[in-house]
Amino acid sequence: MRAKEPFKFHTSSQLVEITGRKAANLKEFLEIIKEINDSSIFYHVHHAFREHQFAPGHYTNDFAHWIGEELSENALAERLANINIKDYLEIQSLRQKIAEIIENHLKANPGNSNLTAKHKFYFCKNIGVVQKTKYIAWELEEFCDMLNRVGLRSLFFHFFEARLRLGRKTNDFSDWIIHNFHNAALARQIEALDPYLYTMDQLRDQIISLICGKKEDFFGRLLKWLKAR
Amino acid sequence: MAKSKIEEYSKIIRPQNFDEIMMLAERVRGRRIKMVNATAIGGGVAEILTRVIPLFNELGIKTKWEVIKGSGEFFGVTKALHNALHNNKAEITEQMLNIFNETTKTNIAEMIFDEDVVIIHDPQPAGLIAAKEKSKAKWVWRCHIDTSHPQPDAWNFIKGFVEKYDASIFSTPWFAKVLPIPQYFIYPAIDPLAEKNRELSAHEINTVLQKYKVDRSRPIITQISRFDYLKDPLGVIETYKLVKKHIDCQLVLAGGGATDDPEGGQVLSEVQEAAKGDPDIHILLLPPFADLEINALQRASTVVLQKSLREGFGLTVTEALWKAKPVVASAVGGITLQVIHNFTGMLVHSVEGAAYQTRYLINNPQIAKKLGEYGREHVREKFLITRKIRNYLLLLIALDNPGRDVIQL
Repeated sequence: MRAKEPFKFHTSSQLVEITGRKAANLKEFLEIIKEINDSSIFYHVHHAFREHQFAPGHYTNDFAHWIGEELSENALAERLANINIKDYLEIQSLRQKIAEIIENHLKANPGNSNLTAKHKFYFCKNIGVVQKTKYIAWELEEFCDMLNRVGLRSLFFHFFEARLRLGRKTNDFSDWIIHNFHNAALARQIEALDPYLYTMDQLRDQIISLICGKKEDFFGRLLKWLKAR
Repeated sequence: MAKSKIEEYSKIIRPQNFDEIMMLAERVRGRRIKMVNATAIGGGVAEILTRVIPLFNELGIKTKWEVIKGSGEFFGVTKALHNALHNNKAEITEQMLNIFNETTKTNIAEMIFDEDVVIIHDPQPAGLIAAKEKSKAKWVWRCHIDTSHPQPDAWNFIKGFVEKYDASIFSTPWFAKVLPIPQYFIYPAIDPLAEKNRELSAHEINTVLQKYKVDRSRPIITQISRFDYLKDPLGVIETYKLVKKHIDCQLVLAGGGATDDPEGGQVLSEVQEAAKGDPDIHILLLPPFADLEINALQRASTVVLQKSLREGFGLTVTEALWKAKPVVASAVGGITLQVIHNFTGMLVHSVEGAAYQTRYLINNPQIAKKLGEYGREHVREKFLITRKIRNYLLLLIALDNPGRDVIQL
C-alpha cells in the first residue's frame, strides 16, 4: 500500500549554548526553572537521550541527575526522573510539572531549600539546526528500510523533538501512519513505546519491529548500510 | 604521516553521522575562517588545529592558521596570566599588562583579517579583537582553559577583550562567565587517525618500549603531559611510590614542551630530582612530533594516570580512553566530563586516592578492561574530531542566525 504523502526524514543537529544562569540550591533552581526559556528545559530533559547512545544513563534527565547526585535529594530526583516527557505537548506544561514536584517537596521538607550543592547546575539551551535528509518513504517496508539508514538524530527529531518543540500531538511516525494507512492500532503501539527503557538504537529496533515485524540489530543495520553505499 | 581524508572517518563513526556532517558542510561551503593561537607546536590547541584545518579545507571551508609572535618576556606574561586564570598565585603588574598590549599591537600590525570568521584561541592572542573594527568578520573567542575560578584581576583584564567578540566557546558550562555575548559549549576532541591515536602493531609498540627501556612484563603506570606544575608530576611520583609498596610496577612520566611555556625546564628538573635513584621511574622529555612514541606508551600502559591539579579539558585523558585504557584521573575541569566514575574510569581527589584506584585496577584486570571499553565508546560519541567539526559547522550557521533557537535549513 502506498501513502498519499511520503514520509520525509529530517534530522536535527544541536549546538549547545550556555545561558549563564546557575543554581547552587533548590531555591535558586526552582526560581530559574520557572523563568528560563523553553529551549533550556527542552535541552535538559532530552540531553540524556541524545548523548548516551551506547548505554542508558541512571537518570533520564539532567535535573534529576543533579538533584540526586549533588544534593542527595534522592526521592525528589526519582520523582523528577519519572516524568514522562511523552505526556507533554508543550514545554510550558512540562515546566509547570517540574516546578510543582519541587514545590511539593519543599513544602514537605522546608529546611532543604538551601542545601548547597558542591557543583552548581549550569543551565544550557540548544540551538537546533533542522535539515531534510535524502530519505523519503512511500510504503511501510520502505519506511523501515529508511529508518535503518538515517542517523539517531533523525529518530530523535521525529520521535521527541517534533512533538514537544514543534507542538505536534504525537510522534511523526505515528502521525504519518494514521493519516496515510489509517492503522490507528499500529500508530498507538509506536506512540506507546517507552523510550526510557531503551537506548536510541534499541528504540529504532522496536519501531521497525512493530511496523515490519522484524528486528535487526545494530551490526546488521551497519552491514546493510555499508552494502547500500 | 599523510593527512587523513575526511571519508576515512566514516569508518570510525556511525556512517549516518558522517553523512550529516557532509550535509551541514554543504550549507557553509566557501566560508573563509582564520584560526589564531600562540604556538604552532606543543600543547593540545596546536595539535588539534594541525588536524582540523586540513579537514575544514577539504570540506570547502577555506581555513587559515596563524600564530602570534612574541618575545620570551611576552610569553612569561601570558604564562602568569594563564596561571592566574587557573586560580594559581601569579603576580600581574601594570608593566606586564603593558608588555601584553604592546605585543598585541605589533601582531595586529602584521596581520590581515579579511576572512568571514576569525577564531582566536585562548588568552594569549585575545587582544587581537582590537582589529575587529577594521574587519567585516564575525569574531569568536575559543577558551580552552579552566576559567571556573580565575584570579579576578586576571579575568577582568581578559574579559575586557572577550566581551567585544561576537561569540565565545568554552569546553564545559562551568568554565563560562557572565558575558554579554553568546557562550557556546563545544568539547575539545582528538583525531583517531592521527599518529598519536591510530592503531599500532605489536611490533611498533615493542620497538618504542625497548627504545626507552621500559619492561613490558611488569605493570606500567603512565602519565603523559607537559612538565607543568598544574599537571602535578610530583604528585604522580608520590602516587607511584605508594603503589610500588604493593606492586612491582614502573612509572612512565612523559611529555614534551611548548614554546609558550617557559616554566617547563624548572618543573622537569624538580621531577628528575624526585625520581632520582629509582630505575623503574622513566622520565621522558619527548621532542615535538613524538606522537608515535606517546601512542605506543599509552597503548602499553596498564593504567593511565592524569593527576592534574587544574585542567582545561585533558586531551591526554581522551587519548587514553580512546585506546580503551583504564584511566585514573583527578576530578578537575573537563576530566569529569570524560571520566564517569566507575563507568568510563576512576575519578580521584588525592595522591592516596590515585594510588588506591591504580592498585585496584592493576589487581582487577577484567574491571579495568570493561572501564576501558566503555571509555572508548564514550569518546567515539562525544570527543572525536568529527564531533568538533560538526559543532564548528553549526557555529557558522548559528553566527548567521543570531537569536534563533530553531534554524530550519
